[in-house]
Amino acid sequence: MIVAERKPLPEIIESIAGVKKLLVVGCNTCVAVCLAGGEREVALLSSALRIAANKDGRELDILECCIERQCEQEYNREVAAEVADVEVVLSMACGVGVQTMAQQFPNAIIYPALNTTFMGQPDELGSWSERCLGCGNCVLAQFGGICPITRCAKNLLNGPCGGSADGRCEVDPEHLECAWQLIYDRLKAIGQLDRLMEITPAKDWSPSRHGGPRQIVREDVQA
Amino acid sequence: MQARKRVVMGCARSAGVAMQNLRATGWSLPDDVEWVEMPCASAIAELHMMRAFESGAENVLVLSCHHGACRSLEGDERLARRVTAVQALLTEIGIAPSALVHQRMAPNMASDLRTWIASLGAPQPCLAHEQDAGEA
Repeated sequence: MIVAERKPLPEIIESIAGVKKLLVVGCNTCVAVCLAGGEREVALLSSALRIAANKDGRELDILECCIERQCEQEYNREVAAEVADVEVVLSMACGVGVQTMAQQFPNAIIYPALNTTFMGQPDELGSWSERCLGCGNCVLAQFGGICPITRCAKNLLNGPCGGSADGRCEVDPEHLECAWQLIYDRLKAIGQLDRLMEITPAKDWSPSRHGGPRQIVREDVQA
Repeated sequence: MQARKRVVMGCARSAGVAMQNLRATGWSLPDDVEWVEMPCASAIAELHMMRAFESGAENVLVLSCHHGACRSLEGDERLARRVTAVQALLTEIGIAPSALVHQRMAPNMASDLRTWIASLGAPQPCLAHEQDAGEA
């Protein structure tokens, strides 16, 4: 899922300076699961903004709502009336959702309330880790299901480097496991250590972002 | 000028019992204090605390059972983590985190409860701001 976190409150307050009527709109998908932009977070941010406005003696009317997926226009249509009724929309979706709203409502001012951070997984309650860079050419089969591009701090396809010690990465030993130690352990467990005898050639990054924003077209499902 | 408002929220099993005991002695809550009884401290969400400030409270006191005495096992710990989160949010807003206070208590601590309520918000919030800034 896409993992995000709320922007610092002073930055959000600055972005809505002078605004008297605001819509805070959350997204019930990825950012709700990572506790950044769901219903609860919409209510908390709105409450914080009201308290801040009251403290500064500013008038601020806030509408709150949360839609299923801000990255799909059919869901955003549900809030079209509210969007038209306010000066600014503060979106608590990921960057995709914010851009979908901005594209769908060209005359509306849409500001992000979150910093979209990475594609990852929840480790435990309150902790998420990056797992995929979206490189466009998945190599997980070769490395036992552990991505060296995402999880090795140096993106090494032929590792480990000399900075691996006790299974930890020298870049941040406290928080980072050595991806290549994980790859070795995993390949050993599934009986595929011989894969490490292969030299992996330099990665072809053309399916990644080197050609600009990517697009997938499926003619078989197009209307 | 808007009248001062303070909010006290607490677990029915400890703070709630202490509050009943206080009332049985003829004591009554100060006019500016609103009491909210919750089934457990773990039911006091961040949003409840924020709503209290949003409704105009200058100071909020939240009360849980002592560590290890929670009937729901970890209500006090959950509340403590939420209080930390709300205090961080208050700091971002520019309100002293000391405006939100968490105390752990037992049902027989009526006297402490009365003292905490009496001292909630004293010294005045503006002085508390300066004090917090000095400590930082």
